[in-house]
Amino acid sequence: MASMRKKSRGDNLVLRYAILGAWALVCLLPVLWFLSIGLRPRTEIITPQPIYWPTFSLDAWHMIWSDWPMARYLRNSVLAIIGSVLIDLVLAIPAAYSLSRYTYRGRDDIGFYILSTRMMAPAIVAIPIFFLFRNAGLLDTIWALMLIYAAINLSFVTWIIRSYMLDIPKELEDAARTDGASDLRILWEIIIPAILPGIITASVIAMIFAINEFLFTLLIASTSQAYTMSVALANFTGGSDGVIYNAIALVAFLAFVPVFIVVVAIQKHLSRGLTMGAVKG
Amino acid sequence: MARIELADIQKKFGLVWGVRDVNIDIADEEFIVFLGPSGCGKTTTMRMIAGLEEPTEGEIRMDGEVMNDIDARDRDVAMVFQGYALYPNMTIYENIRFPLRMRGVPRAEQDALVRQAAGLVELTDYLDRKPQALSGGQRQRAALARAIVRQPQVFLMDEPLSNLDAKLRQAMRVQIKHIQRQLRITTVYVTHDQIEAMTLADRIVIMQSGAVQQIGTPDQIYNDPANTFVAGFIGAPPMNLIAGRLADGTFTAPGLRVTGLPERRGGKVTLGIRPEDCHVTVGADHLQGIVFGVEPTGETTYLTVKAGEKLVEVKADRDFRADLDTPVAVGFDTTRLYLFDTASGDRLR
Ligand SMILES: Nc1ncnc2c1ncn2[C@@H]1O[C@H](COP(=O)(O)OP(=O)(O)OP(=O)(O)O)[C@@H](O)[C@H]1O
Ligand SMILES: [Mg+2]
Repeated sequence: MASMRKKSRGDNLVLRYAILGAWALVCLLPVLWFLSIGLRPRTEIITPQPIYWPTFSLDAWHMIWSDWPMARYLRNSVLAIIGSVLIDLVLAIPAAYSLSRYTYRGRDDIGFYILSTRMMAPAIVAIPIFFLFRNAGLLDTIWALMLIYAAINLSFVTWIIRSYMLDIPKELEDAARTDGASDLRILWEIIIPAILPGIITASVIAMIFAINEFLFTLLIASTSQAYTMSVALANFTGGSDGVIYNAIALVAFLAFVPVFIVVVAIQKHLSRGLTMGAVKG
Repeated sequence: MARIELADIQKKFGLVWGVRDVNIDIADEEFIVFLGPSGCGKTTTMRMIAGLEEPTEGEIRMDGEVMNDIDARDRDVAMVFQGYALYPNMTIYENIRFPLRMRGVPRAEQDALVRQAAGLVELTDYLDRKPQALSGGQRQRAALARAIVRQPQVFLMDEPLSNLDAKLRQAMRVQIKHIQRQLRITTVYVTHDQIEAMTLADRIVIMQSGAVQQIGTPDQIYNDPANTFVAGFIGAPPMNLIAGRLADGTFTAPGLRVTGLPERRGGKVTLGIRPEDCHVTVGADHLQGIVFGVEPTGETTYLTVKAGEKLVEVKADRDFRADLDTPVAVGFDTTRLYLFDTASGDRLR
């Protein structure tokens, strides 16, 4: 009896791994596919005949580093994204604190208004934003990218952090206050550590959005001065060389890897954060 | 180290009354205990003293100085919260040290103070743990240690021992009383536990539905209750309260007749008698009824007598036994009878 039960549980486990493994393969297949494109010579990619034994080639790898300022694109991406996330946190944490802790007239309206900035199509504000940045002399700089990424992500970063703050019992702050802590200290020593998973979650999601951002980056960056990885991809499509598929695939893969690593590393926080943000309004 | 005056304090949460007309003058170095049923406003009163809640009306003074507009941070009180409120990201050690850091106690002195406080609540072995890794009782003791680690003007303790087992509770009770006496710190203490209230308090404040029912020493509260609420709330088992009529110095209720009472009173009156002031007699006496239940506790036996529709608790001899429904007579110690006005519940003196 006992052994039967054990056996059935074993079968169950095999089945479970089989299903999960199959699902993981389905998800990873495109990634592996474009990695394989990136590591093959151009001629082999565009041939209509199926190829069963692909040739390995680092052509694209050499090309993206020597013919294009890929290092600078990468640097631009990294700086713009990290900068934008920092701006978001500096603005969102106090805003979320206020929205979750104080009661004042119009608080919920303000909260909704902040969220609603996420609801319109970005194209609507593209032109005004272009002029805004031009007048400020910020076109073609990574500062502009930082600001625009921060602006795009600010609403939901605020919202996620707020939902975490709502979960902190008020008694905790009361205790800190009677213990003699100032408001800033309470925020810094009690609240921020307590909502760290939320901050990490929000930052990662903001990062992913920022890496994928294309429209505004294209609008603001007109030279390699401010090109990021996502816009650099677009560069491989025009010109006399036609579409350089293997370079596109390789750059896309390079943009994917850091995000993948970060997400795997903080997976635990992330899944908790996403569900928490989901249930609490 | 501080006198606390609560003058005409009212607290409303929207339309809900939290606390009504509270007037308490807490003397310097006094140990005062708030006692009352759940939701009667004990925590709310305490939070107002701490400065975490603003009274809707009335004044809070400490040593004569009006505190209403003084921030909680600047009131120099230490509080044990009902829900512990331990900082989840800090270890127990850091939790206990937090108030010392915030109040600018020199670094060199902090460690010894933290260890001393942890020792008093028997948590020395748990200092490196996070609060999540402690049991409820251990968390509660950590919260207590965080309050007693420094020497504030006032201790506020909201049911600080509610989650401990009987033995530990007794030990902690002694510790708290000792610390309070030694440091001479004015202490406001909330509990549901009557033994705790009786043993710790200089004076007890009995509250009900946001209003103070009586303030007095444990003796006064027990022996001289101001109304039926206080009389029925204190004592285990509580005082018997029997509604009846009083006329010409004679109180009557179904199965009950007591003579020799003050003649100037009359009408609908409730008679109060504690179970320990009753005794089983042979032959007719004040109360005639039938045995409803017998509860031997070892030390003594509680007898429940049914007279009319009323159940009356009587403390009998430890080896008293009787079959259900047998007739029984009970005599009262007539010097320890209490009379209350049935309508208002107020004591008739
Ligand atoms: N923030 C609040 N908003 C609305 N009503 C409140 C609030 N805090 C307390 N109350 C109400 O005020 C009354 C007194 O509450 P309080 O917490 O002081 O009770 P308590 O005596 O401490 O009870 P317990 O023994 O259960 O802790 C209750 O009826 C409660 O519902
Ligand atoms: Mg309470």
